[in-house]
Amino acid sequence: MKKNSTLVIGFFIIIAFFSCEDQIAVDLPESEPVVVIDAWINNKPETQVIKVMKTLPYFDQEFLPGVNDAIVRVEDMTQQPIIFEFKKGEGDGIYEWEPWWNQPHFGIIGHDYKLTVQIGETVYEAYSSMGRVPPVDSLTFRFEKGNNFIADSYIAGFYANDPPGIGDTYWIKTWKNGLFLNKPSEINISWDAGGSPGAVVDGVSFIRSVRDMINPFDKDEEGKYMSPYAPGDSIRVEIHSITNEAYTFLYQTLIQTNRPGGFAELFAQPLANVISNIQLVAGAENSAKAIGFFNVSAVSDMEGWLDPDKLPPKE
Amino acid sequence: MSKISWLLFTFLLFTAPAVAVENYTVSGYVKDSTSGELLIGSTVYVQELGIGTQTNVYGFYSLTIPAGNYTLEYRYLGYVSRIIRINLMKNEQINVDLVPEELKLEEIVITSSRGDRNITDVEMSAQELDIRTIRKIPSFLGEVDVIKSIQLLPGVSTVGEGASGFNVRGGSVGQNLILLDEAPVYNSSHMLGFFSVFNPDAVKDIKLYKGAVPARYGGRIASILDIRMKDGNNKKFGVDGGIGTVFSRLAVEGPIVKDKGSFILAGRRSYIDVLARPFTSFFDNGAALNFHDLTLKTNYRFNQNNALYLSGYFGRDKFLFDREQGFSWGNKTATLRWNHLFGDRVFSNFTFFISDYDYELKFGDTERDKFHWESRIRTMDLKPEFTYSINASNELIFGGDLLYYKFRPADATGVSNGTPINVSLEEKFAFESALYIGNETKFSKAISARYGLRLSNFQSLGPGYVYEWETTVPGQRKRLISSRRVEKFEKIASYTNLEPRASLRVKIGNKMSVKASYNRMAQYLHLISNTTASNPLDVWRPGTNNLKPQRGDQFALGIFRNFGQMDDYEFSLEGYYRTTDNQVEYIDGAEIFINEYLEADLLSGIGRAMGLEFYLKKNTGKLNGWISYTVGKTELKVEGINNGEWYPTRFDQRHNLKIVGYYNLNDRWTFSANFTFLSGTPTTFPTDRFTQQGYLIPYNAYGSRNNVRIANFHRLDISAIFYGKKYRRNGKARKNRDYWIFGFYNVYARRNPFSIYFSQGEDRPAAGEPVPSFATQVSIIGTIVPAISYNFKF
Repeated sequence: MKKNSTLVIGFFIIIAFFSCEDQIAVDLPESEPVVVIDAWINNKPETQVIKVMKTLPYFDQEFLPGVNDAIVRVEDMTQQPIIFEFKKGEGDGIYEWEPWWNQPHFGIIGHDYKLTVQIGETVYEAYSSMGRVPPVDSLTFRFEKGNNFIADSYIAGFYANDPPGIGDTYWIKTWKNGLFLNKPSEINISWDAGGSPGAVVDGVSFIRSVRDMINPFDKDEEGKYMSPYAPGDSIRVEIHSITNEAYTFLYQTLIQTNRPGGFAELFAQPLANVISNIQLVAGAENSAKAIGFFNVSAVSDMEGWLDPDKLPPKE
Repeated sequence: MSKISWLLFTFLLFTAPAVAVENYTVSGYVKDSTSGELLIGSTVYVQELGIGTQTNVYGFYSLTIPAGNYTLEYRYLGYVSRIIRINLMKNEQINVDLVPEELKLEEIVITSSRGDRNITDVEMSAQELDIRTIRKIPSFLGEVDVIKSIQLLPGVSTVGEGASGFNVRGGSVGQNLILLDEAPVYNSSHMLGFFSVFNPDAVKDIKLYKGAVPARYGGRIASILDIRMKDGNNKKFGVDGGIGTVFSRLAVEGPIVKDKGSFILAGRRSYIDVLARPFTSFFDNGAALNFHDLTLKTNYRFNQNNALYLSGYFGRDKFLFDREQGFSWGNKTATLRWNHLFGDRVFSNFTFFISDYDYELKFGDTERDKFHWESRIRTMDLKPEFTYSINASNELIFGGDLLYYKFRPADATGVSNGTPINVSLEEKFAFESALYIGNETKFSKAISARYGLRLSNFQSLGPGYVYEWETTVPGQRKRLISSRRVEKFEKIASYTNLEPRASLRVKIGNKMSVKASYNRMAQYLHLISNTTASNPLDVWRPGTNNLKPQRGDQFALGIFRNFGQMDDYEFSLEGYYRTTDNQVEYIDGAEIFINEYLEADLLSGIGRAMGLEFYLKKNTGKLNGWISYTVGKTELKVEGINNGEWYPTRFDQRHNLKIVGYYNLNDRWTFSANFTFLSGTPTTFPTDRFTQQGYLIPYNAYGSRNNVRIANFHRLDISAIFYGKKYRRNGKARKNRDYWIFGFYNVYARRNPFSIYFSQGEDRPAAGEPVPSFATQVSIIGTIVPAISYNFKF
């Protein structure tokens, strides 16, 4: 239901005449860097990448330094002994697995996987399974008349049906003209058709707030929201099945990174660490835990482009 | 009633000092001479005996003293005292009308102390504000505000501007019980926290109990805010009103039957939307942005022994994008009360009320896709209470409370692409009951004590499931072990608490006293809120087998001293120490709305709070006001947060200083100012950054909570009240009175921080570049805000 509260908060922002924001410099406590594992892989027929890095002080505006002497592998726990070796690739901290003729893509839906990352004596492990994913049935656009705050807009929507059965979780990723919509506010996750673990909406079409979340709402110079799509723009939507733990991880990431500021701060939750699924299983006594996440997704997708002459008739 | 209560009851009767045979009772009501309003807490003092009593919330007093000749003195702040001499040979009823000071005729000069209740009364840790004082305090956008005024008192704070509610002695917002004519008000705010729901035109008296809570109150562990509505003028019709920057008010009051019955009807409505309508098409399709409230009270006094009161409140905030989409919330309360006198010595009151809070969210502009979500809590209560004036030294109060709750946490239905969806949660029911008894004994002129006991019970009832949870990793979502179905009105959990209350006063001379108190409070309803400030969507949940009652134990010690012949200065210094248990906290990323498994996301811990409150008030002269300073600390300890170590709560403020002054220049002008200083509130800063799939995520390597403090808060507000002429040119008094309020909030336009947040900024991160990181400080009111309002009375 977070999406609805976001809408409400958005409304309060409009009426916030007196509030103001300042970017400030603050001193942060110092700490020892820890290992970061960024392992979100999927069954698309392309190179799969796992990054092993170390944290930086929060205000260091640099890429995280890579860990280049790690051994990275993923094991199929359902059908052993299939092992996917991730080899050190080009770039700092990057480990890659390449599809091959006998393995045109990574993994099988329904199988469980184990990630192992070994750095010297230290061994980290994480588990994931590849969940099912429904196909994208259609991609549509609709036209909405604007007002003082938002321009006349073409709004995109996708249709897909969550299969019956509770506990499917998804991450819906969108590309506009080939560019991934990568703002924290655009993180679009869904528990079954769009509820939450305690209020399940199952086995139906994804709810409106999920379907509409594939639109980038950017402001122009005057602070007015622009139309998310213009005639001729292309759109690509992918549904990634994710584990329930990954849903929680992304939900927490959304809370921690999507900070609209202003009045929304009244409803902000305290800063807290998102929960990692990486376990420290072996190492020296002073070995530190790692943070980050391991998830294996099955992916369905659809592409389209905005042709204003082909909008569906208004209801 | 339990054995213990009976024991106590008999104990009270037997320890009362020996009763003289020829005791008589003098009783009656104390009223305002101009409006007939009953005066709450006016002092009735017997000069010969050096003892006294106070009128209760219905303006009634009763004193049982030996036969004899006495001089009775009736006092009330802001009123001319009255002295009545009696020869008490039988039970007497004396009703007294007091004349407001501003109407004082020159020839009547009565010199008496302005009231030293703060010294003589056993009560401590309680604070009263009368509405005339509240009206003089500069306020945001020129609107007189009850809740904002309370925040100027020692021991009271808030997390910041715009936040709903208030914090008392380190307690959270959900630990305050706010009563409007005895009915609980679950959300006290309009427009988030900017205005409170109480219409000052209809408020007579407010009293905040921060500690030493009498046995008659219960249900929350931090404080009780008891707001009493005006009865309405029973002598003549009158209209009060005001036109302000944000809303307008109008109140009508008058007699139904002169001197017997009266009514008051008061309403307010905001009009930002009305003013904006010509300039935007935004409101054309049914959009709304407003709040309104209506307060009604009527009463009828059948005779000296019987009076009936009916009061109601209705208020709603609306934020609608169009007819089908938006958000609204509001409180409704209705209270029926019957006062009855059994003889001259037993005053009884029977209260029945209904209180209802709900909010509604609706989205979706087509029939194929929509969502509607409603949440509601309804309370009904039957409350008999008896006050028995045993003799000059003992006043016994006892009664009961039977509350019925109906919770509808979420009635949530919708349509997704043509298919209906339903994520509603089942209704829940609960009963809360209490029996209480308390006595006030005057052991000697110097020593008085008030002691009591409250026995409370809570029954949480189905339908629903009784869940059992297991903690796997502290601080993370708990795992379900078992669930058991219970049917409607079947028991989910039951709790009983014995809540002792006691306070002691020792008077040292005429101008000073030392007081000590202890109270235990139990709370069975929990406000579920994991955001910085409380907000209208927060849900009240009943206790269950997993959500155990919160308990608070508070000790307080204070010195009270008055200075000057007329008690010109009041001074108090109070220290308190409070411990609490079963405090509710949340896992990170808790889903608190529409969640059947909410309990899996809740954590439980203990709390402690301590502080020292300093209060100096000037009552007389042209310059009035007070200085309030609190040094305090409030912490929580929860398994799974901050590595299980103590951490400060979000509203922990070390220093809290308020200076309020108002200066009556002449008949036409009053100037006032207030200054606020608050230590920065705690917040959590990250240490490191890391990325996942391109998102920059803050990380705190120490896993700590509230490890740093934001900058201090300070602000000055000023205002001027300009009264219209009282007399016409021909020298006759004008029937209509009016005044203007000009004000400036945040005079030196300080950008006081509300919070500091960390983010990667608003811009879309560019490919091939590291994600930037920023710390942003938010000021809710970051500028000077002028205000003007026009008020009238006729």
